[in-house]
Amino acid sequence: MSGAKSTGLARAAELYSVRGQRARELKQEGKKIFGYFCCYPPIEIMTALDIVPVRILGNMDEPITIADGYLPPVMCVFCRSAFDIGMKKSYDYFDGFVGAHACDGAERTALIWTNYIKTPCNFHLDIPHTAHNSAVDFFKQQIAYFQQAVEKFIGQKISPEALKDAVARHNRQRALVRDLYDLRKPDPPLISGSEMLQVLIALMCIPVEEGNVLLEEVIQEVRERPNVQAKKSRLLIWGSLIDNTAFTDLIESSGLNIVVEDTAIGTRPFWHDIEETQDPLDGIAEHYLKEVLCPRTFRDSGPSYQEDSEMRFGYLKEFAKYWKVDGVFANIIRNCDVHGYEVPVIKDYFAGLGLPVLVIEQDYSTAALETLRTRFQAFAETIG
Amino acid sequence: MEKKEFKTKKSAKTLQTAREAGYFGKKMLTSALEAQKEGRPIGWSMVTWWEGDLIAKAMGMELVYPENYGAFCAAVRRAEPYLEIADAEGYPNTLCGYARNCIGYTKTLADNNLEVPADAPGGGLAKPVLLISSGAACDARYKWFQALGRYLNGVPVWTLEMPQTGLKEFYLPGNKEKNLAFILEELKEFVGFLEKLLGNKMDYDRLEEMLAQTLKTLRLAYEVDVLRKTVPSPMVSQDFWSVMIPHLYLPEDPEAYEFYQKVYDEVKTKVDNHIGAIPNERYRMMFSELPPWHSIGFFDDIAEKFGIAMVIESWNYHAIKPMPAEELEGVTDPLEVIARLSYHKFTEDNDTARRYDASPGFFNARYLQWAEDYRADGFLAHPLMSCRPATYTLLHTKNSLEEKLKVPGVVIDGDIIDLRVFNPDEAFSKMEAFVETMDHYRELRRKAEMAW
Repeated sequence: MSGAKSTGLARAAELYSVRGQRARELKQEGKKIFGYFCCYPPIEIMTALDIVPVRILGNMDEPITIADGYLPPVMCVFCRSAFDIGMKKSYDYFDGFVGAHACDGAERTALIWTNYIKTPCNFHLDIPHTAHNSAVDFFKQQIAYFQQAVEKFIGQKISPEALKDAVARHNRQRALVRDLYDLRKPDPPLISGSEMLQVLIALMCIPVEEGNVLLEEVIQEVRERPNVQAKKSRLLIWGSLIDNTAFTDLIESSGLNIVVEDTAIGTRPFWHDIEETQDPLDGIAEHYLKEVLCPRTFRDSGPSYQEDSEMRFGYLKEFAKYWKVDGVFANIIRNCDVHGYEVPVIKDYFAGLGLPVLVIEQDYSTAALETLRTRFQAFAETIG
Repeated sequence: MEKKEFKTKKSAKTLQTAREAGYFGKKMLTSALEAQKEGRPIGWSMVTWWEGDLIAKAMGMELVYPENYGAFCAAVRRAEPYLEIADAEGYPNTLCGYARNCIGYTKTLADNNLEVPADAPGGGLAKPVLLISSGAACDARYKWFQALGRYLNGVPVWTLEMPQTGLKEFYLPGNKEKNLAFILEELKEFVGFLEKLLGNKMDYDRLEEMLAQTLKTLRLAYEVDVLRKTVPSPMVSQDFWSVMIPHLYLPEDPEAYEFYQKVYDEVKTKVDNHIGAIPNERYRMMFSELPPWHSIGFFDDIAEKFGIAMVIESWNYHAIKPMPAEELEGVTDPLEVIARLSYHKFTEDNDTARRYDASPGFFNARYLQWAEDYRADGFLAHPLMSCRPATYTLLHTKNSLEEKLKVPGVVIDGDIIDLRVFNPDEAFSKMEAFVETMDHYRELRRKAEMAW
């Protein structure tokens, strides 16, 4: 990958296909690589110390075997898969491991992980359940502990300027991702869901500067190439993450164009910039707790069911309007509680917008995907 | 289609006091129904490990506990219709059984103009003015109450915060105090929220009284746990799962304290007279985490057949160990005492976890300590289809016990509510085979010159 350089979408596809490759190369060059769970650990802290943050994902292609002896089958399948491939040494190049109390599954997996998969540095980041002001203050303190732990490991302090610079570079990435999302606004969209997924996962495996270059290349390429997409019904995906193009390919070959994903690998990590604050940790804490809109964070209840739904999901109405969505796929990885409890309310909310919702609870396995094809095809026909 | 009949079995229980403990479950339900008649406010609360309950009660609110109601509905075999309603409403059937039971019940409440349906098990849960949820231990315990907004339009949800730092991070300088300060800040917010909701001020004298009574009850419940270390075991899990109700839900109630005095006396008498809870105790086992409420009699069967005494169980539902004196030194604010009390529940085993190098402290480390203290021969892990957070660490704990203490474990799948998941015949066969495993490990411990 470091030889004859591919660019743009081809490079994203390479980075997506061999996810640890670039990080392993950088490790050879002397960089430190940290793995992190979910989209809550502030990657800006790692970037500020020239650490490469790599998002820990599972592998839908790999049957879960080793994890069976450590994590019960009733647990979130994605977490079990991530742990399984961790035990199979997929992440043996990590110098550090950052767990997070994002949800029960991620939290317990991370806590158990450190008993069996050893890295020179590890930190478990607690995340409050609410977005109250005192919760933001508390979260800021926990992020400060994280910063201290990483500084100690690297043997270097982060200056406020370096942190502000890292925030600016990641904000630039967020803005570029939003620009790329804009290219899905035409009908048909200029970039497919599978291509988008490859780009987003690629960004989570490389340093932010490389990611920003990649994004600029991709945006230019997508703008300049002839639009190869066919016109199909436009789909918003909400819910658990999707990290394998076998899934998006299946959806898009069933008569649907994915135009926006409200998931942990979609809009959630990228949709809001971190505010530049005097103390950068203020902006970081505020952003991760209040602006990363995973239902794992409890938002204070509204005065009525309707208003509560509007407060919690109003942004989805904006998404649906902006991307001219025809229908919604609620993707629930089996045993994902934080999304599972939202299914009826999400259906109610989108029904109020006149948008049909296809709910599928799936097993996070490419081997089990094909059986879903007829459901997507039927849904496409319904909304087409 | 013919409906399949599932075998269920109640436990006879070994303590007379355990047979009487059902009174407290009924007391909670009837008190709320009476409060409704009198126009007093009712709250539905998760188990909060005393973090929110005492405050709400001191403000004059009557509380009922939907988790307990789920266990009750399962025990009287009335949960299935509610589970079916929740399924029909579109909730995945992989969600918590207690939650699905409650969602189903709440739908019937909403369909009945928020009047308790006449046929509701145990008289039903009266309509709440507030839902008190908790972030401790389990996401379902705030997501579920949030979901009830579909049926209890406009009833507010308050989520209590309980930090869950990692083990190493707990010991970072100042972190524990920062955790406590956060809890305290949130409790002050909670009081303000309640005062606005209920239109009256917090009665801090009343809160202090309730807190003092709570500490007494918890101390006594802990003393019962200590007595249970005796061989043969004077009390078994079948008893604990009944007597836990008063200290978990009503520790501020003087009746709960009086009840625990009776429990203590009964258990002490057995200890003094070397009377085991089960005749011919041959194997001492620990159980984790929640039991199949519909089939507690299974434990009577394995006691009778194999001489298995379930000597200690269900970490999450035990009273805390008394807090070290220095923990409360100079603490006069009852809210701070509550913060320290509840936080202690989730951190009291961190030293143990560190000693055994076995993270996390909660849900896990206590079983290592208990294995030694209670001279355990085995560990029964009960993964729950619908209470995952109580399940996540089970295999890890089982591995740690085998590796560090030569205490083997057996896994028996089941559920707190759903009868269909627990197969008593298969479970019985597994236990039959496991007896030999326990014999083998007992020999290994003997060779390693371990204490038991």
